[in-house]
Amino acid sequence: MPVPILKQEHFLIASIQDELSDEELVLLRDQLVNKVRQHRSRAVLIDVTVLDIMDSFAARTLRSIAHMTKLLGADTVVVGIQPDVALSMVQLGLTLEGIVVAMDLEDGLCLLRRREGQRHAAASQQ
Amino acid sequence: MLQQASNEDTVMPLRSDVDVLKARKYGKELAAALHFSPSERTIIATAISEIARNTVLYAKSGSMHLKLIRNGIKRGLLIIASDEGPGIADLKLAMQDGYTTSRGLGIGLPGAKRLMDEFDIVSEVGKGTVITMKKWER
Amino acid sequence: MDAPAKHRKERSSLLNALNIDQEEIDNRKDFLQFHEDDAERLKSISGLADQYADEVIEEFYRHLLSFEETRVFFNDPDTLARVKNAQKNYFLRLTQGSYGADYIENRLRVGSVHERIALPVKAYLGMYNFYLRSVFNRLTETYRDDPDRALNTFISLMKLTFLDIGLAIDTYISSRERTIGQQQDAIKELSTPVLPFREGILLLPVIGMIDSFRASQLTEQLLHSIRDTRAKVVVVDITGVPYVDSRVASHLVQTVEAARLMGSKVIVSGVSPEIALTMVTLGIDLGRIETVGDMQSGLERAEQLSGYKMVRVDPGRDLDFGAE
Repeated sequence: MPVPILKQEHFLIASIQDELSDEELVLLRDQLVNKVRQHRSRAVLIDVTVLDIMDSFAARTLRSIAHMTKLLGADTVVVGIQPDVALSMVQLGLTLEGIVVAMDLEDGLCLLRRREGQRHAAASQQ
Repeated sequence: MLQQASNEDTVMPLRSDVDVLKARKYGKELAAALHFSPSERTIIATAISEIARNTVLYAKSGSMHLKLIRNGIKRGLLIIASDEGPGIADLKLAMQDGYTTSRGLGIGLPGAKRLMDEFDIVSEVGKGTVITMKKWER
Repeated sequence: MDAPAKHRKERSSLLNALNIDQEEIDNRKDFLQFHEDDAERLKSISGLADQYADEVIEEFYRHLLSFEETRVFFNDPDTLARVKNAQKNYFLRLTQGSYGADYIENRLRVGSVHERIALPVKAYLGMYNFYLRSVFNRLTETYRDDPDRALNTFISLMKLTFLDIGLAIDTYISSRERTIGQQQDAIKELSTPVLPFREGILLLPVIGMIDSFRASQLTEQLLHSIRDTRAKVVVVDITGVPYVDSRVASHLVQTVEAARLMGSKVIVSGVSPEIALTMVTLGIDLGRIETVGDMQSGLERAEQLSGYKMVRVDPGRDLDFGAE
């Protein structure tokens, strides 16, 4: 089952519904990159609330998504990492460098809107 | 296809990324049958994911053995990932954090070692690899 | 005899709780050298047992009721009748000839019932002793002409009752341990409450010595609270912690990192000079962790990060106690 990707304002929201195999993760990455390009999105929000395991491959894929979308001008925000998952990631030694993390969808959107606001303010000052 | 010797002793094939998902899901279920906390179950499943993927990526085909074990009254989970793949030439290097081959061994093996109570890896070039891990109930 | 599935599930939970699987059962029997031939010998006197069961039970309760301490358990005549019946079944089960998981489960259940009504262990042991003596007398009488048979059968019975006693005592111990465990949990919760400070801010005042186990419990507790209260900032105050070792320190670092992955920031307050020195000596990188000297500063910083601004409106305006 592919991950549903919704467009909201200038953002894309990918809500993971189920455990993803390696192949599905890569597919998600490619889909997100294509959509960012297609919609000229400014940010990608990936909701991982449902994932009860985050291993090195998943972390690596998330980092590639962030890297690739950045090249297209979009930030990546990951939301919903669960307590046990966060702890196992830390014990495993995984970092999500290059990725902004927020607690949940609401938080993530709030953060992105704030950034948009700051960007506009900075732009209008020039 | 699962072969079950008994409820507590299972062998699963490791041939594709879907098998990795199955292995970690089953590992989580077995851990739940023991008195592992939810956080410990996540840790076990994550470690399984790492070594199972390692096997699939490198050896293309192997198997995972999950078994309930005991040491006196203490119970634990035994996980063995074995394959007849190319083997690892430099184990020491492979067990170093951040070491990556073109496929990205990266954090998997040393990370899994950190998560489990006991960890052992035996590998011979041209013969294969056997990774053994254990986690005990508190 | 097929018990309904639910009942079976309930029953097997006793075996589970005490970690008694088939291997353990076989282990105990081996230890007592209780084998097939013992089972057969006991089965061979089941007819005899049927015959004198009522007698033995009557004698037993006469004995029991002659003591003040044990009489109190059987004041109600209905209770007494019920218990006598249960006792008879228990007694007859000893000679039924099959002693597998079902038997063990039954014995554990009986043990836990007795434990729950707080029957003292000595009374329990006294009971078994009485059975053994009653049976011994009747065995020697019945097999007057075959004393070897009487003796061997008695020895088999003794092995089985010792198996039973072991199980009964296990249920007593397990119940005590469960209580202790619950008390310990309660104490731990008390000593490290996760307190909501303001909306979105949690305060975790840690007091006393922490070992690695407690530290990992704290971590789990904190991370779950962060999710449940959607706290963006947490102040972990360690003013009350005299000393941390490397494992506890690394747990602390892990907690901060894990909270960060959840979108929450941890401020560690109350770091004493001693602990600071320990951290440095251990080479623990606190570079990514914000630390402050005391809890107050920690809370102020948390408020600041959360967008709160504290303004003192009027000094002591409402502190007019005893005004007209």
